[in-house]
Amino acid sequence: MVLLHVTDLNVSFDTDDGVVKAVRGISFDVDRGKTLGIVGESGSGKSVSTQTLAGLTRGARVSGSAQFDGLDLIKASPSQRRSVLGRKIGMIFQDPLTSLHPAYRVGAQIVETIRAHDRSISKRAARLRAIELLGMVGIPFPSERVDEFPHQFSGGMRQRVMIAMAMALDPTLLIADEPTTALDVTVQAQVLELMRKVQAEFGTAIILITHDLGVIADVADDVAVMYAGTIVERAPRDEIFYQPHHPYTEGLLDSMPGRVERGQPLRPVKGSPPSLIDLPPGCPFAPRCPYRFDRCDQEVPVLQTVFGDEQHQSACFLPTEIEERKALREQLVEKGGIR
Amino acid sequence: MSSDEVLLSASGVSKRFNVGSRGLLGGRLQLSAVDNVSLEIKKGETLGLVGESGCGKSSLARCLTRLYDVDEGTITFDGRDITNLGRRQMQPLRSEMQMIFQDPYGSLNPRRRVGSIIGDALAIHGNRGKGTRRQQVQELMEIVGLNPEHYNRYPADFSGGQRQRIGIARALALKPKLIVCDEPVSALDVSIQAQVINLLQDLQREFDLTYLFISHDLSVVQHISDRIAVMYLGRIVESGPVEEVFTASSHPYTRALLSAKPIADPRAAEQRDRIVLAGDLPSPISPPSGCRFHPRCPKAEQDCVTVVPTLEILRGAGPDAQRVECLHPLEADQDLSSFTPSIADTIIGADAAATGSREVAS
Ligand SMILES: Nc1ncnc2c1ncn2[C@@H]1O[C@H](COP(=O)(O)OP(=O)(O)OP(=O)(O)O)[C@@H](O)[C@H]1O
Ligand SMILES: Nc1ncnc2c1ncn2[C@@H]1O[C@H](COP(=O)(O)OP(=O)(O)OP(=O)(O)O)[C@@H](O)[C@H]1O
Ligand code: SF4
Ligand code: SF4
Ligand SMILES: [Mg+2]
Ligand SMILES: [Mg+2]
Repeated sequence: MVLLHVTDLNVSFDTDDGVVKAVRGISFDVDRGKTLGIVGESGSGKSVSTQTLAGLTRGARVSGSAQFDGLDLIKASPSQRRSVLGRKIGMIFQDPLTSLHPAYRVGAQIVETIRAHDRSISKRAARLRAIELLGMVGIPFPSERVDEFPHQFSGGMRQRVMIAMAMALDPTLLIADEPTTALDVTVQAQVLELMRKVQAEFGTAIILITHDLGVIADVADDVAVMYAGTIVERAPRDEIFYQPHHPYTEGLLDSMPGRVERGQPLRPVKGSPPSLIDLPPGCPFAPRCPYRFDRCDQEVPVLQTVFGDEQHQSACFLPTEIEERKALREQLVEKGGIR
Repeated sequence: MSSDEVLLSASGVSKRFNVGSRGLLGGRLQLSAVDNVSLEIKKGETLGLVGESGCGKSSLARCLTRLYDVDEGTITFDGRDITNLGRRQMQPLRSEMQMIFQDPYGSLNPRRRVGSIIGDALAIHGNRGKGTRRQQVQELMEIVGLNPEHYNRYPADFSGGQRQRIGIARALALKPKLIVCDEPVSALDVSIQAQVINLLQDLQREFDLTYLFISHDLSVVQHISDRIAVMYLGRIVESGPVEEVFTASSHPYTRALLSAKPIADPRAAEQRDRIVLAGDLPSPISPPSGCRFHPRCPKAEQDCVTVVPTLEILRGAGPDAQRVECLHPLEADQDLSSFTPSIADTIIGADAAATGSREVAS
């Protein structure tokens, strides 16, 4: 069941250097109780696209629609949006230090979040709920630590507090922007485990933004791969990992250490991403693409169904028939185009 | 390739920091950042150093290169005891030990042109190559994959990966023997990260460089290192050839750390047992007694609370031996998740059991 239905979202910023086209016509769905992973290089538009849903991209030019629970988040008034955000949509940001106020006790901040949406909940009841939430996210001695300040918590604990706050009102959708990027692998494992647990228990849908394919492999049901402001490939997780169609997805996977024997060189994607002010005329990936051919420089590819699988879409002119696509890769590997 | 000749060795190195004056008697609190560390780095090899944030990796690197004075222990570089060398005596050695940092933005002066940033390094060293300084700089730029025509550009005009190349060129300019790479690719996207890792490996072959490679990314360390050392709370708890440590680790912490490593392969990720460590890294101001890992160790026994284990050879000999610092090391076929913590006073709420110490991913 579709919970969030985003269609043709565009976001651009006017800057002194020109118009930054940060998000260019992306569409995606999030199903109830499922996790959509959004992956892509730095600057590809992952944060801007989800922040726009929350009305956080002030000064941006925005078009498109985002249907959530009978409301179009893009056209909604600020007050309509406020009634949904925090209550039905919880958000976790990348840096827990900037998201928790350093001067207020952790518990007080959770209580405030709860009561901001429902004044009928007494302070006492909200505090008990805060303690319950802290316990749920694995904070030791929650009834004592509820009165501590953020700096008394470790990075991992602060991120768990952020999850507790985002979950305070039982949202149906949780947007987590790089929730584990600043954390160690051991702590990352704790946090991902917690998100899985929360999802299993409350049926929360999750949008997880990350640049780490390992995290995607771990928790995503569906994956959207972003490049230069567009979704270039979209598919269930295993399709992305074992049967990618788009050369950028393939390149991302190929660059992972662990995909080659030790002692062999890694296989990077050459070059770097284009400027979002001055995009190439055809396919945005063309300057870096080992498969590039004439058409790629003239026309912009759009998402289309590939490999005969409705759920698998790719914005690339290469053959959509699986054997043909695989044969092309093999040719390229032989020619040394992918070393 | 690496020889058996040792370039740098450390023996019993400790580093403590004074942190404020607190405590009942107004005594100074000390933070034990590096505690009794011994290691060897062989000529031409890459030694990977891994461990959680705050475990002391950067502090150790700064001790080894004598950017810090050590409180205890000795450091030998290229056959010479450098433990107590003063600033002046260290000066000629500085160029032989270079550092590359995580933050390519912060480590380059934004107001200087790339040509001067790299050229200054050459100047410090005195011209030893052929041609004008500009030619030498441009040659270095070419070696690290930068366009030599960009000689007059500023750091801001380059991407993150390119800035890291500038940092590498600057380090190379001094013709170092040892390069300490402190999280050199952590700020870069995977596709760019792979470019820089390949560059570092090519340069190592070409110029016979020795690397100490610090990273929290275990896949990167596994790929680039010949040997690795695992740090926990200031101490090296396990070390050895990378294959052996990755396939047959015997320290419970190494096991837990490796099991948390993200794998970009969903089927493999689903199949493995994951040990989710309870609690957080304890404070290095008052580290736990006995084995510093005991409060989180699923395998801890009573003696772990009082006895301080030392790094002992488990198999092999010399620098290539696998060493472990544990009173009850795991056998290769033993499964850490089959142990019930009996000592681990890990304090987790009843509801939080799912984040507890032995959660096994289904
Ligand atoms: N307020 C703004 N004004 C101008 N440009 C902006 C603004 N906010 C974002 N951008 C640009 O939009 C693009 C997309 O940024 P976004 O933060 O969404 O990237 P991201 O995919 O989340 O990257 P990262 O992985 O680094 O977080 C970038 O080029 C960024 O510089
Ligand atoms: N100059 C200093 N004064 C006081 N404490 C310090 C100093 N430098 C480091 N520390 C402390 O020493 C410990 C080890 O720090 P260090 O930076 O070496 O860790 P690290 O392993 O490099 O961590 P990271 O992965 O986050 O870079 C930490 O607890 C840190 O807070
Ligand atoms: S459309 Fe052409 S340039 Fe773009 S990804 Fe496909 S093959 Fe490469
Ligand atoms: S010495 Fe004891 S507490 Fe320390 S790692 Fe070994 S078993 Fe665990
Ligand atoms: Mg972002
Ligand atoms: Mg460090």
